[in-house]
Order: sequence, then structure tokens, then C-alpha cells
Amino acid sequence: MQKTKCSECEKDILLPIVQRTLSFLSENMGVHIISQDAQISFMQKVQLKKNTVMISTGGSIQVLISMSYDDKLLNKLMESFLEGETVALEEFDEVRESVACEVINIIIGNALINPKDDTVLSISPPILIQEAKSLIKHKNSKIALSAIVTDFGDLLITVIGTKDLFIDDLELKEL
Amino acid sequence: MLNVLIVDDSLIIRKNVHKYLAHLGHKVIREAKTGAEAVEDCKELKPDLITMDITMPDMDGITAVAKIKQFDKKVPIIMVTSHGQEDLVVSALKAGAKGYILKPINEDKLAKAIATIFPKYKIQEDDDEFLDD
Repeated sequence: MQKTKCSECEKDILLPIVQRTLSFLSENMGVHIISQDAQISFMQKVQLKKNTVMISTGGSIQVLISMSYDDKLLNKLMESFLEGETVALEEFDEVRESVACEVINIIIGNALINPKDDTVLSISPPILIQEAKSLIKHKNSKIALSAIVTDFGDLLITVIGTKDLFIDDLELKEL
Repeated sequence: MLNVLIVDDSLIIRKNVHKYLAHLGHKVIREAKTGAEAVEDCKELKPDLITMDITMPDMDGITAVAKIKQFDKKVPIIMVTSHGQEDLVVSALKAGAKGYILKPINEDKLAKAIATIFPKYKIQEDDDEFLDD
């Protein structure tokens, strides 16, 4: 299969994810979007929020995709998922973490595209990261970021390209 | 009433699917968190219907469907997945799944999927959201 240059794969991957996030929040979760940073930025460093979930892709493109939620927004998402049901106190944290993971799973599953070729990208089960404070760009990697501001707080979405993603750009040849 | 096995690693999805099934008058006989658990539960419990996630740790849903079909060709399996990617869904259908529901799931989508497989549970005419094989 003909491979194309993919120097901005992160951006091409992030854009449909942002669009699906906006529709999912407003149409399925009852969250009002105040503003979205439509411009996707390449960052040196991203400050993470307390509730951060990551998914990795497998296949012809390997990237890490993260969603970082404000507390209030995650509580609202949990309330929407529960559809008026209550949860026992001892189950509260587990359900809340499950919602954080399920939101990224639904959005990435619905919106993930492969801008490099036509092959299918697989996604890993979501991983919840606690106590992480920031993502810092390392050489040969890129971090693309979009921030969504809602009436329940912010959601940061990042796509982090790993070194493998840049083989085309570095003009390395497979032996 | 159907005896249903729910397979999903997400607690909130298991809770919601359980709630929808109960509301539709069906009985959840067990909830499995991985494909491997699902295979064992299916052997033990012989459910009338299975709802199955695709992306799970330990053993993914497509592999679990293939393994279940080795010893139970008849049990209908509905994939409940966020993957819009056609190849993955086709793989699940080839492995033996009856059809799929795209997440986010709700009671209406689940009811229509069940009615497509079991016409006696049909509650509405429009069942085009469930894509069967």
C-alpha cells in the first residue's frame, strides 16, 4: 500500500475526535459547550488535570490519545450516564472512573481515522492515570492539543505521536 | 424472558445494559469483564443471548465470539462496540456474531437489536439501527 507523508498525523487524528467530542457532550451528555479551541496546537508541555485517561492506537500509526477532565465535568458525565440512578457510596469511585474511561472509549471508537493509509487502527482498553501532572514533549515526538470549555469545566484532548510515527519524515528505510 | 450474559470491561456499561435488559423484562444471569470470563460463563450458564464488547483486556470480544462458537453455534451474540471501523465489525460477524450496536448504547437500540434476533420481542416496526449479518 502506498504510504503518504504523515508529518501532521496527530492533527489529522485529533480533528475528528474533537468534532465527535463536541457532539457527544452536547447531544448525549447534556453539556453546553462554551467555547472550543478550534485551532489545534502543537505543544511542548501540557498540564494535565486530576482525571486523565489514555488510549493507545495500534496498527500503521501508534499514538497515545488522552482526555483530561475537570472534576465538575466528570461528575456531570457520570450523572448523565447514570440516567437518574444512584450508586452506593462504596461503588462511587469505581463508577466514576469507569465513566471517564468509557467516554474516551466511545469517542475514539466512533471517530478514529487513519490518515496515513486505509488500514484499521486498533485501540487499547482505556487506562486511567492518577496523580500525573504534565505531559512533556521529548525529541522526535509531538503533542497536539485541543481544549474544550463547557459549563461544567474544561476537557483537554491530546494526541501524542511517538517516534515510530516519524519514520517517513526521517526518511528511514526498512531493511 | 431471555437469560442474558453481559460481557464488557466497563462497569458503567454493564450497569446500564443490565438496567435496560431488566426493564425490557429479561434476566441477566452474569456479567463478565473479559472475553476469557465470557467463554467460561457461556459454557457453564448456556445463555439465550450474549452482549459482547470488542475491546477488552485479557481476551478481546472477537476472539471470545470465535471461541464460544466452537462449542455453541446457536447462541446469538450482539456486539456492543464503539468501533465505527467496518473491518472490526466484519471480523466480529465473520467470527459468528449476529450483529452489532454502536455505542453510545441506550434501551431503544438494545430493544431493537433483540427484536431483530427474537421477533417475538418486537416492540416497534423500525429496527434499522441494529445491523445484522
